[in-house]
Amino acid sequence: MHTLQRAGRRLLALTGLLAVLSLVFGPAAGAAVQTPHSASGKSYVIGTDTTFAPFEFRQGGELVGIDMDLLRAIAENQGFEVEIRSLGFDAALQALQSDQVDGVIAGMSITDERRQVFDFSDPYFDSGVQMAVAENNTEISSYEDLEGETVAVKRGSEGEAFADSIADEYGFTVKPLDQSATMYDDVKAGNSVAVFDDYPVLAYGIAQNNGLKAVTDKERGSSYGFAVNKDQNPELIQAFNAGLAELKASGEYQQILDKYLAAPETAGQTSFWELLTDSLPALMKGLGLTLFATALSIIIALILGVAFGFLKVSRRIVLRGIATTYVGIFRGTPLLVQAFFFYFGLPQLTGQPIDVLTAGVLTLSLNAGAYMTEIVRGGIQSVDPGQMEASRSLGLSYFKSMRKVVIPQAVKIMTPSFINQFVITLKDSSLLAVIGFAELTYQGQQIYASNFRTGETLLIVAALYFVVITLLIKLSNMLDKRFNK
Amino acid sequence: MSKIHVAGLKKSFGSNEVLKGLDVEIAEGEVVCVIGPSGSGKSTFLRCLNKLEDITAGKVVVDGFDLTDPKVNLDQVRQHIGMVFQHFNLFPHMTVLENIMLAPVELKKLSRPQARNKALELLERVGLANKADARPAQLSGGQKQRVAIARSLAMNPDIMLFDEATSALDPEMVGEVLQVIRDLAAEGMTMVVVTHEMGFAREVSDRVIFMADGFIVEEGKPEHVFGSPQQARTRDFLAKVL
Repeated sequence: MHTLQRAGRRLLALTGLLAVLSLVFGPAAGAAVQTPHSASGKSYVIGTDTTFAPFEFRQGGELVGIDMDLLRAIAENQGFEVEIRSLGFDAALQALQSDQVDGVIAGMSITDERRQVFDFSDPYFDSGVQMAVAENNTEISSYEDLEGETVAVKRGSEGEAFADSIADEYGFTVKPLDQSATMYDDVKAGNSVAVFDDYPVLAYGIAQNNGLKAVTDKERGSSYGFAVNKDQNPELIQAFNAGLAELKASGEYQQILDKYLAAPETAGQTSFWELLTDSLPALMKGLGLTLFATALSIIIALILGVAFGFLKVSRRIVLRGIATTYVGIFRGTPLLVQAFFFYFGLPQLTGQPIDVLTAGVLTLSLNAGAYMTEIVRGGIQSVDPGQMEASRSLGLSYFKSMRKVVIPQAVKIMTPSFINQFVITLKDSSLLAVIGFAELTYQGQQIYASNFRTGETLLIVAALYFVVITLLIKLSNMLDKRFNK
Repeated sequence: MSKIHVAGLKKSFGSNEVLKGLDVEIAEGEVVCVIGPSGSGKSTFLRCLNKLEDITAGKVVVDGFDLTDPKVNLDQVRQHIGMVFQHFNLFPHMTVLENIMLAPVELKKLSRPQARNKALELLERVGLANKADARPAQLSGGQKQRVAIARSLAMNPDIMLFDEATSALDPEMVGEVLQVIRDLAAEGMTMVVVTHEMGFAREVSDRVIFMADGFIVEEGKPEHVFGSPQQARTRDFLAKVL
């Protein structure tokens, strides 16, 4: 899989984290490169993806999955130490190329292209595309049954490529979606009758009681390998291969696979309360980031709003034009496009990488700033012009009149709109999940990407937003009453 | 030398010419009432005297300052010209006392305690000493206008402009405001009063200006303008309002 599909998963890459890590750990990792001959007794830094169930994902804060378990078992078997860094797929490969990590294990397909720059271990997993339908579906059991139906695939995946290649032959329609969890929900909701997905991902989903069942054998696909830089750390590859062979021989390899891929026992899902207590730590961390980014953005937006709001009521047409252009651009384009632009577009234009928090806050504050500008303009203009005239007629300057007479009244008028904008920005911050900003919604997505309990997880996420926003509104109204009598 | 000198004053809003060339001289201590039908340009004329309106053409010289000169410090000039508005324009977020103290304190004419004493004195004068700590919203229309007058007096102006100061008041409150203006007139303040109160204009003014359609149609002593108007337009107007 992965050459194409990973383009989508690039969104999850936390490049900021990488930058920090490279500063802190660069030298230590570099030192390990020097060591020749045997891996035994050595310590290696290994990069991996953030969430790619069932190969690597977090469970109760712990990094688990087939890759993780396998790597740890091999390390133990061969007597070397590993330190695992959860970097994101692209970031992990970049870190490897710049010697910040010694190896990468991340559900990575062995391709000729990658062989140019990396040395791969023996394949440790054979993937392939498989078809699944809803658990209670008895009508569809082969490709022939798909005539006239719609099937869901993951955009850019091998599943999509395979489905496309046989769509005409069997007469079905292909519907590309972005995430595995979304695809499975689409089938359960009856919008599509089947999914084509990578066998391990699908098997893991079924093992998690995602409500589907596999109905075909897997098609032959690519194999995954562990990678080091070309001609570096050969002893690590040797140790990995040796360990893998021993684990396969001892049956431990199969145990690890079964742990994640075997069909579920009837015991099935944990309760809602367990889901809640399991997911709450990650969600609270996300909520913290949501609040932090929102607060920071609102403060910047307020400054922008006041500055541009004053330009907007200026008598100078050039100043008004500047403010109107700013507001026009940021109100006239979708927030999502702005987020993509700042995170992906801007670095390409400037050559300067931007971390996800900066990009997120930049997006939110410039966007909210445009609305704030209009709120400030509206607030100032809604103050009776007679107030300014009376103040000017007393001999107070324009700015003194603004400060002493107009603004105090405008602030009172603007406060409800400010509170409203605050709430809107808080909710808008959820859109930053698409650029991999680890806020509340993103954390929710990560959780149901590995447990497939989309509905319940989203319910918890929504409840958290609801509670926080309700509290914020109550607090704001209290402050409003107190200071704007 | 005249206190206010207006020559060839024209004012347009877009393509609409509201003042079509006014020439007026007002001497120190003179009380001038401006009357005329609505839309005649009375208020616009008054607002040109402290340049609340930009002047399209002509000359306005107040206290020796040429208001059409871009280099003149308007804030400085306005400190000497008090203005009272039809809708009071009190600052609703301040108390009565703060309304009156704002300009003297902000413009550093007086220290805070001095400004406070001065404000209380002025309130006494307009009969509202007991309302010092009230908010404008708690006052009647007549009381608001008296506070507004006190506010503009706090800067010790030597010219007062009244822009239909009683038009927004209930009839029973007109008298109390007129009394304050009457007292000011008696003290020798230079005043330009735009008003619809013909009896008051006749009683208090040294001179009456009748405006219509952006022109000064007729002016003169009140007994002349009201008693024996020379122009048909004036007679017509007075016949309707008296």
